[in-house]
Amino acid sequence: MQRFANERVVVQFGLLILAVALYASTFQQSFSASDLAQSPMFFPRIILTLWIGLAVVALIQTVRTQETQSPIASWPRIGVVIVAALIYTNVIGSEGFFLPSVVFALICLPAFGVRNPLLVAVFAILVPGALVFLFNHTLGMPLPTSRFTYVF
Amino acid sequence: MLSALPEAIGILLSLEGLLVLVMGTVLGIVLGAMPGIGSTVAVAIVLPFTLTMGQAPAILLLLAVYAGSVYGGSIAAILINTPGTPQSAATCLDGYPMAQRGEAGLALGWATVASVVGGLVSAVVLIFAAPQLAAFALQFGPIETFALILLGMTCIVSVSTGSVVKGLMAGMIGIFLSTVGGDPILGEMRFTFGNWQLFAGFNLLAVVIGVFALSEVFIRASKPISRVSNLVAFSGIILPTWKMWKGRLRNLAKSVAIGNVIGVLPGTGAATAAFISYAEGRRSSPNREGFGKGEPDGIVSSEAANNAVTGGALVPTMALGIPGDAITAVMLATLTLHGITPGPKLVDDNPTLIAAIFAGFFVINILLLPLGMLLSRVAAPILRIREAFMMTAIVILCAVGIYFVRGNPFDLLVMGGAGFVGFLLRRQGVPMAPLVIGMVLGPTLELTLRQGLILTDGSFLAFFTGHPIALVLALAALLALSLPLLRSLLSRTAS
Repeated sequence: MQRFANERVVVQFGLLILAVALYASTFQQSFSASDLAQSPMFFPRIILTLWIGLAVVALIQTVRTQETQSPIASWPRIGVVIVAALIYTNVIGSEGFFLPSVVFALICLPAFGVRNPLLVAVFAILVPGALVFLFNHTLGMPLPTSRFTYVF
Repeated sequence: MLSALPEAIGILLSLEGLLVLVMGTVLGIVLGAMPGIGSTVAVAIVLPFTLTMGQAPAILLLLAVYAGSVYGGSIAAILINTPGTPQSAATCLDGYPMAQRGEAGLALGWATVASVVGGLVSAVVLIFAAPQLAAFALQFGPIETFALILLGMTCIVSVSTGSVVKGLMAGMIGIFLSTVGGDPILGEMRFTFGNWQLFAGFNLLAVVIGVFALSEVFIRASKPISRVSNLVAFSGIILPTWKMWKGRLRNLAKSVAIGNVIGVLPGTGAATAAFISYAEGRRSSPNREGFGKGEPDGIVSSEAANNAVTGGALVPTMALGIPGDAITAVMLATLTLHGITPGPKLVDDNPTLIAAIFAGFFVINILLLPLGMLLSRVAAPILRIREAFMMTAIVILCAVGIYFVRGNPFDLLVMGGAGFVGFLLRRQGVPMAPLVIGMVLGPTLELTLRQGLILTDGSFLAFFTGHPIALVLALAALLALSLPLLRSLLSRTAS
């Protein structure tokens, strides 16, 4: 069972399913061109066919070879960093650059093992603050500001 | 191109030109010296900031970061036995033992001089070889260009570390991503699924930064936290005297030649060149007995070759629009982002830009000597910076950089998504360079294929029967694609 239910197989299978779904979607879109070669889907279908073929080969290789994968040293750490980074990149547009950056640094630094609260706080405020000062107030190339103030 | 030289020199001597060359080299050396960042991530971090610049300063800045980071990698390799870049791995073998003997300054001196010589010779090769190759490629029409891009795509095989199948798949994913948005001939929307943000396609830069820089942060977070502490005593670079070079010049010349030849071949890269050159030095150097124990010839072999690759790798990139590795793929992406179409017409259409790039590359390699001497002292304390601060700063800088490109928060989402997908794929051994190569070359591949089909009334066979250059290029592509697969099949059968 371990042979089929591991991260490598799941990801490879996911890539295969994604390619098949995208291929299927090419038949649901309608276009004005009647000539096959000039259809906007002509080239993507070739590429998706190759992707599907290669994904099948890669999946078979993965199941057959049972390659060992580098273990995750700390699931909480990687989880926290990924979720924090994804939320961070998501909220900059609405919440501005400074506040999300400070919060991101406050989460990310301890996750990477920095335990000194003073160091964490100084870095978390100083680096985004310096960037806001540089871009918004010196270069005149403003980063997004928060809903509370136009200063940062 | 020579007629454009005075104008190009004017660009280099302008305040912006000089600043870009110096700042780029400084940034490159510092980022290259930080273990794990590497040339590709260094170039990816700086890339978005180039979009507010003109074409020539932007490319020069990236070139300076590229050349500087290759050299900067040797600082970490020698002082803490951790290569800042993969191409400096061979430098550790003799650099660190020399540093442990208390000769860190001299070891860095050997590395600096070898890097400068390697880089300068490769700049000369670039200046002479690229225009010749491009002049020949000017005869190309859409069909020949299609065959050329097809040949360029085969470099995916050679940059696919680990699994060729996974590398090719990554290439296909990259080409597919480039098809999202408007169709190049009819302008009709594809794969947007009603999301207007996708009408212009995925932002290439956001994907490049996501899969290289952000995924690197996630990869680091998945590994045990490293604390760098084995920094040896170091008080500054000591350049080797002329007397010390006696008996070593032959090794230097050979290493430079190896680096240039390997650099021109698509998909080989500086790390391969450094190790091949090191192996050759170990075989033929009069001082071969000392290799691995702190022999300067070992440092010279590795550093001269890896810096010589930088100019060599730019030859197919500039002349044909074919990236040789991940870094030159990012360079090509930059050209595209600046509205320049990579390919055979690049040299002919942009003589001033190309002259400025070539002359600038020469200057950058000269700058490596004084800046390297100056910065190695600064870079040494930087090596003590904890990974946590570097990784957090990378994410914040990437966000700033991406936001600047179009001021569109959607690009930040694309970067985050690309980073997560890049992390997942890299963990499965799927290389990321082919994805970027696919995304860069994909649009031209599609456009020339469809233009070719219009020219031949829909006959794909006529691509090769009536176009001898296209036939030769297609055969070369077939050969390049099948050889590694055949080799791996034969080795499996034999084992």
